[in-house]
Amino acid sequence: MYKAVGFLCILAGCAGWGHSLAGQEKERVRHLKVLSCLLGQIRGEISYGKHTMPEICLLLKEWNDTCYSECFGRIYKRTSEESGTDFPKVWEEELWKCMEPFPLREDEKRTVAELAKSLRFREESGQAGRVAQAEAFLEGRYRQSAEACENKSKMLHSVSILTGLLLAILLL
Amino acid sequence: MRAEEVLFLFPEESRDRWREAAKLAKRLQEIRLRAGMPLSILVDNREYFLDMQGRIVDRPEEADRPSPEELEHMLGHLCRYSIYAFADEIRQGFLTVRGGHRVGLAGQVILDGEGRIKNMKYIRYLNIRIAHQIRGAADALMPFLFEEGRVVSTLLISPPGGGKTTMLRDLIRQVSDGTAYGPGVNVSVVDERSEIAGSYLGVSQNDVGIRTDVLDGCPKVEGMMRLIRSMAPRVLAVDEVGSLADAQAMQMAGGCGCKLLATIHGGSLEEVRQKNYMRYVMEQRLFERYVMMDRRQGTCRIVEIYDREGKPCTRR
Repeated sequence: MYKAVGFLCILAGCAGWGHSLAGQEKERVRHLKVLSCLLGQIRGEISYGKHTMPEICLLLKEWNDTCYSECFGRIYKRTSEESGTDFPKVWEEELWKCMEPFPLREDEKRTVAELAKSLRFREESGQAGRVAQAEAFLEGRYRQSAEACENKSKMLHSVSILTGLLLAILLL
Repeated sequence: MRAEEVLFLFPEESRDRWREAAKLAKRLQEIRLRAGMPLSILVDNREYFLDMQGRIVDRPEEADRPSPEELEHMLGHLCRYSIYAFADEIRQGFLTVRGGHRVGLAGQVILDGEGRIKNMKYIRYLNIRIAHQIRGAADALMPFLFEEGRVVSTLLISPPGGGKTTMLRDLIRQVSDGTAYGPGVNVSVVDERSEIAGSYLGVSQNDVGIRTDVLDGCPKVEGMMRLIRSMAPRVLAVDEVGSLADAQAMQMAGGCGCKLLATIHGGSLEEVRQKNYMRYVMEQRLFERYVMMDRRQGTCRIVEIYDREGKPCTRR
């Protein structure tokens, strides 16, 4: 009886571990998609709306219901209420803080967090172009990851169950 | 005008230097920043300088000198770190910032293939003109501005710096809100250079009245017809008429039944009449009042008010 329960526990644990790993990858893909959409919105607002960056942050907060909304709200608040705080500094601080727990890779986080440092273009086409570069980078990562994710997810599930089986046989 | 408003013009890290100057906010007229040159301010028409600690000094040798990087940072701050959003304004050589203050810019211009100004780089000269709305500036003019309770078309004439825009702003406010001489009416303003309403992010920073609609940053010719079609104003206001196209647009607006409030550079009524683009307008008697203004000892004043015939007006 105990052996059967132990066997099931080990199997369930390993399957859970595999599911969690696969989930992280799915979560990363989801974040990449969200970020790339947000950058697309920023680019649009620069090109067509000619809004300033703090205003764009406010719009992003109002239009989106993502885990980034609050972060953009804080950026708007810190930079627009006559505080005079350097926008790139605030953007970087807030986005690093916001993205810290997310399963994104370092270079993906850096692409977003350091984007504001390059907001020095004097024409909207140049500025939108710079945002489009970051967007294309994340979009590319998203496509790669989305394709790989399905296969990887199945593989992780299979491997974890097999590992569980192996462990159970070895231990029991 | 509050001291904080002046401080907010500067990035957070350089505000300490401006605290002393900001205390003079009500009398402050201009702040000039030139790369490598003494920081200067104009207070009550007198020039002063600012030293490293932000103390106001008389001698330029004691003054602090901002670096080109400081000016770039300052420009970034004034543009809310979104210089691209102000490309049109930079092309024209000025920005309007919160509070309606105007920031004049000079540096190196970038020309397009046809020799037109495309943009500006190496902006090393900033001239911040502090906006002071003078409520009641047009009080003395109001009795002359109405006939049977209706506003009459009025042209304000003065040399540059004669107070035309300040006067126009207060005229708009009073005509819009209504006065003892006539009820408030809908006023539309074509604020080509954001000087009248001082709009910032679409919000008028100056009080231009409760029945006033502002078309900000729009060329006068296009703006006047657009406003007539869309906002049905009783009074249309424009600043600094300066071309034949402007004059023609005013005529067209006058023909639509709108009354006009406008300003023009000029030393006398005769000088304005001599401008080829104004001759026809004046012959057609589009304007019913001409107000001559000038500045004496730092104060703007009305010199004379003429009627549609060009004869001096008597108080009504």
